[in-house]
This record gives sequence, structure tokens and C-alpha cells, in this order.
Amino acid sequence: MLSIFKSIPSHMDYKGQKLAEQIFQGIILISAVIGFVYGLIIEQFGWTVYIVLAGFVISCVLTLPPWPMFRKNPLSWQPTIPEISGESIQKPQESLKKKKHK
Amino acid sequence: MNTVLSRANSLFAFSLSVMAALTFGCFVTTAFKDRRVPVDVHVSKVMLKNVDDFTGPRERSDLGFITFDLSPIFDWNVKQLFLYLSAEYTTKSNCLNQVLNLRDMKSKYFFFDDGNGLRANKNITLTLSWNVVPNAGVLPLVAGSGQVSLPFPEAYETTKSY
Repeated sequence: MLSIFKSIPSHMDYKGQKLAEQIFQGIILISAVIGFVYGLIIEQFGWTVYIVLAGFVISCVLTLPPWPMFRKNPLSWQPTIPEISGESIQKPQESLKKKKHK
Repeated sequence: MNTVLSRANSLFAFSLSVMAALTFGCFVTTAFKDRRVPVDVHVSKVMLKNVDDFTGPRERSDLGFITFDLSPIFDWNVKQLFLYLSAEYTTKSNCLNQVLNLRDMKSKYFFFDDGNGLRANKNITLTLSWNVVPNAGVLPLVAGSGQVSLPFPEAYETTKSY
């Protein structure tokens, strides 16, 4: 069952990760301030907790799934060098043997 | 922060830290407040019964019914109140505890005496004090500033059989 979840791609690029972190920290802080002021006015701490939980749910929805806005700066990988299969397998084995003899 | 789990982990940890800070703020705003409140004690009906008490070693005890009004105490840091009603009269003094939920105040109260001392006392002083259980912070024991003295009735009522 877990293989289904692992096959869904959930990566973000680095700028997207930074953006996601800023988003959820900002949302939770804003909902905490709103909740604190509202709870102070009506004098029930339960409402403060409810408002912070609502902020938590909103930031879950905004930052957990990999929205396209988090993938706008993808890393530019080098193009793949086509391999000659015989040489590349032998070379690492030779270098390992040399190290062992030392 | 590359996988969903690591994002979820940091999000949840941050939310908990923020909640802890808010609870501390709640404590700070109410910790130094004076909790003495003038209390109106109305004695709606005073009934004395002589019943068998199953909670303690006493054979017989007396019962009294009292209502009172306490709404100014409840600010946002109060989760529960322990109420002590102490009656002082010439022979001895009793205390009883009642645990109240936050908005439930209109119920009858039992007032047990060790012996048969409640019956013919002409003058009994009732003082209400309480223990505030807050959401966050210290637990003060406060005496209410109103008190009522009243005479208890002379005779016992007949107990009803259920």
C-alpha cells in the first residue's frame, strides 16, 4: 500500500522550499496573533486554539502538496554523457584493487 | 524539506511552539489579576435531613441546600473552580468541596455535618471560598468577600422514599 504513496512525486526545488517555509511560518504566526487578540477580547482561550488550528490546516493545504508555484526554479542538471559500458565497469574495479594492495 | 513528511514535520513542530508561546501569553495576562469577587449567597431553601451517610464513618448527617452567583470570576484562563463552602457556628466548622464545570452553577449542594450539630443552631455564618484551576499558571485559593449568616430550621424534614 505504501508503494502508491511513494510513487507520487512530491519534490520541490530549493527556492520553492524556501517559499513554502516562509508561507507556512507566516500563516501560522498571523493566525496566532489573530487568535490571541480574539481570545483576549471574548475571554475564552478555546477560540484561540481553534483559530491557530485553522491556520495550521490552511498552511497544510498550501504547503504540503507540491504546487506548481514551488517548482518554478528547477535545477539545471548537466546533460548525460553516453556511456561505453565495458570501460566504465572495469575502471572502478581496477581503482579498488589498487587501493587494497596498498 | 524535499518530501511531504519533512515539510509536515517542520510545520507541526512550529505550530506546537507557537501554541506554547500563546499559552504563556495567556498566563501572563491573567496571572496578576485580583480574584476576589463579591459573592451573593442566596439561600433558596434550607432543608435539614438526617440521613445515613455512606461516604464516611458517621452514622447520621444533615443536609442543606444553597445557591449562589459566581459569574465575574470566569475569565479566559479559568478551566475549573473548586468551591469551598465553610460554615462556622458555635460548635465546629465544616468544609465541603464541589467541582463545577465552567458554566454549570445551578445545582444543589450537600452539606454534611459530623454529628447532629446543625439542627437547632440559631446563627450560622456561611462563607464561600474557591480554588481556581486555570488553563495555565498558578492556583490561588481565594476567599469570597460576601457572606451570609442564616439560621437553620428547628426540625427535621421527613425523608422521601424513592
